[in-house]
Amino acid sequence: MSPLLEVKGLRRDYGPLRAVDDVSFQLEPGSILGFIGPNGAGKSTTLRILATLDAPTSGEVLLGGHSLVDTPDRVRPLIGYMPDRYGTYDDVTVFEFLDFFARAYGLTGAKRRQRVESVMGFTGLVPLADRLTTALSKGMRQRVALGRTLLHDPSLLLLDEPADGLDPRARIELRELLRALADQGKAVIISSHILTELAEICDTCAIIEQGRLLATGKVEDILRQGTGVAAVELTVRLAAGAGLEAAWARAERLLLEQPRVSRVSREGDSLRVELELEAGGGAGQVDAAAAALLAVLVTAGLPVCFFGTRERNLEDAFMTVTKGRLA
Amino acid sequence: MSAPVESSVGTVSLQERWGDRLNPLVVKEVRQGLRTRIFWASFGLNLIACVVLALVAFVQTRELSFSHHGQGYFFAFFICLAVAHYFVIPYGAYRSLAREREDDTWVLLVLTGLGPRRILRGKVASALVQAGLYASAVGPFLLFSYYLNGISLPSILTVLGLGGTWLVFLTVVAVCAATLAESRMGRAFMHFVVLGALGMAFSTALGVGGALSDSGSRLLSKYGVQLAMGVGLGVMVLDGWLLFEVAASRLSLSTEDYTKGPRRAVVAQMLVALLVGLGFWWYEDRKHVVTEIFSICGTVHLAFVGLFLVSDVDGQARALRAGTGPLSLFRPGALRGFRLTVLLFVAWAAVWGALALVSDDLNTNSEAMRMLMMVMPAYAVLYLSLALVLGRMPRSDRFSSPASVRLLFVAAVGVAAGLPPLLAELAGFDMGDPLLNLLNPVVGIANFGTHDYSTSEPEMTWPLATFVVGVALLLAFLADRALVEREKRAHPP
Repeated sequence: MSPLLEVKGLRRDYGPLRAVDDVSFQLEPGSILGFIGPNGAGKSTTLRILATLDAPTSGEVLLGGHSLVDTPDRVRPLIGYMPDRYGTYDDVTVFEFLDFFARAYGLTGAKRRQRVESVMGFTGLVPLADRLTTALSKGMRQRVALGRTLLHDPSLLLLDEPADGLDPRARIELRELLRALADQGKAVIISSHILTELAEICDTCAIIEQGRLLATGKVEDILRQGTGVAAVELTVRLAAGAGLEAAWARAERLLLEQPRVSRVSREGDSLRVELELEAGGGAGQVDAAAAALLAVLVTAGLPVCFFGTRERNLEDAFMTVTKGRLA
Repeated sequence: MSAPVESSVGTVSLQERWGDRLNPLVVKEVRQGLRTRIFWASFGLNLIACVVLALVAFVQTRELSFSHHGQGYFFAFFICLAVAHYFVIPYGAYRSLAREREDDTWVLLVLTGLGPRRILRGKVASALVQAGLYASAVGPFLLFSYYLNGISLPSILTVLGLGGTWLVFLTVVAVCAATLAESRMGRAFMHFVVLGALGMAFSTALGVGGALSDSGSRLLSKYGVQLAMGVGLGVMVLDGWLLFEVAASRLSLSTEDYTKGPRRAVVAQMLVALLVGLGFWWYEDRKHVVTEIFSICGTVHLAFVGLFLVSDVDGQARALRAGTGPLSLFRPGALRGFRLTVLLFVAWAAVWGALALVSDDLNTNSEAMRMLMMVMPAYAVLYLSLALVLGRMPRSDRFSSPASVRLLFVAAVGVAAGLPPLLAELAGFDMGDPLLNLLNPVVGIANFGTHDYSTSEPEMTWPLATFVVGVALLLAFLADRALVEREKRAHPP
């Protein structure tokens, strides 16, 4: 599938400060890209450039084959941008708010009315049509903002920190809405600090720090990236009983003697075991190593009551890739 | 959950079709405005005040066979309208746009493709629609005052005409003010400035309205008053247009041709002023003094406006570069702003200088004034160029921002105006010494315009004027090179 969005060598300088430095990535229709980075990493600047609100110092951005830098007016209708502030008006109802933006996008007559109704139906705002936007909860206002973003049926959605400050239910609902939009063929870019949330929503992710893109690709590839080896963590718990401390010590010693075990540490009532496996070995390699370790423990007569792998998450990958540097 | 899907298109009412033709902001703002307490409170109070005044007028005049209380009641009704028109409405327009910027909703508006001009037109138009509602409430009472005698219809129409223009001008100024401040502190400061300015505007409206309703017919027959009204109207229309374009420019994205509007407005202003000046000069029997007035006023105006033209950022967005040629002086960038400003100064000085040479009615001071007409634009170019050289010639960006260049201009003018007299005083010379103050933008200009009656010669000479022009051209050349160099850096290949 040809990419909808191609970002090549994007750079943005503010005087001596380089906010975005040689950022390149691609995005296909129907995919969701998570844009991860600490505060000041350049996420919002990149999104603002993609939204045509700012011009890059150098680099190229192609959206649907058209240059966003040379012909911003032409590609703007293809973009739906939701900034981190939702932006609602006082004394305006949900319907009036969406109706106003539909007018602003040039929709007229019955087409406008039906587009507004269709967006309200999609975002679940129909029961709130006559409520003032200022009287809505944060989750609902966020839906109104998403509805506004969808009014002109854009191909690319740019969402800056959309899950920030939402309660768990609203986050799950947002995730479902975004998934539905991606299924419809829209490409979505989400910037966020909440990495666990992104891992569940995104197909691909990009990690940015100090304006530079440190890693980009499918989420599972990113999870393995950074160490050169696939690191797997095991959690082992022993059943309570007489001589438990001695059993812990024995288990720790036994595990450390095994090949591929790089580190064993005690964490409360469990042992954390770190394995170093060959990169690209796949899930089978992890399973084989885990089974071998379990066999060693059981054969040694240790009372194992829990044994499981702890998978690396996006936070671990982020810390590995960025090495914890702050922008 | 399913994605939004279009259904079939239904019927559209006539009202809806008309609504589609309106600026979307007008629809939204009027809906919003009619829901606010402030509108209903001020509208209700306005109406109650007018009804009470009308009842008082009725009681006062019902026993009289002929009354002449019209002017007093007209002014009283006008005060009721003035509160809304010259304070509530412009302040509402200011707050409306200021909140768009504070809440970042203006970004969303710009992305819809409405464009800054339509957004601003919508803001101004919706304010005027609300003003129209107030006027519809007070209008019948103003008409009622005519039937109380004592005020002529031309006076009423003049007050209403000038008042209407004043309302539009104030609304545009308020909207423009809302675009000026970026930071929170700046916005708070601007808020107080706007409140103060609207207070003064309200007082001015009452002063002019009171004077015209009190002795309108007599005043309107005076040439000086007619001239002042004409100038006032011209300034309101032309500066209102310029301020509107400035506001639109400030709301534009860096990828847009944000300087075209304001620069076009400045050129149009100068052309209109030139045509008006020419007409006036001809009507006044080609008096030399007319060329002096227009030359000096135009130069001062251009110096103020030019400060903003020359201090634009370096370079322009890539989307605009392709169509930019050497003569594209309306395109963004300090280089083109500077060249346009210098060109306008040269053209202005040349036209009025030429007209001064063919003028009649010369007096002893005419030659000195001609010198002044030549050096004033030179001083302006000199200090604008100096600010650019100081701010933009170094490779460092420390003083290169638009605000820094403007501050450097003010500082350079301040130092150049204050230092030579101080040095002269310390060295025991006359504080107004012509040579020491040759480049002084205040004393120097005053010296060039002074005629020495003891020698029957101008105080300054043409070679000195030429020297000032030469220094200005040299600095202009340096500033131009600095800007060319910076533009190259701002446009990496």
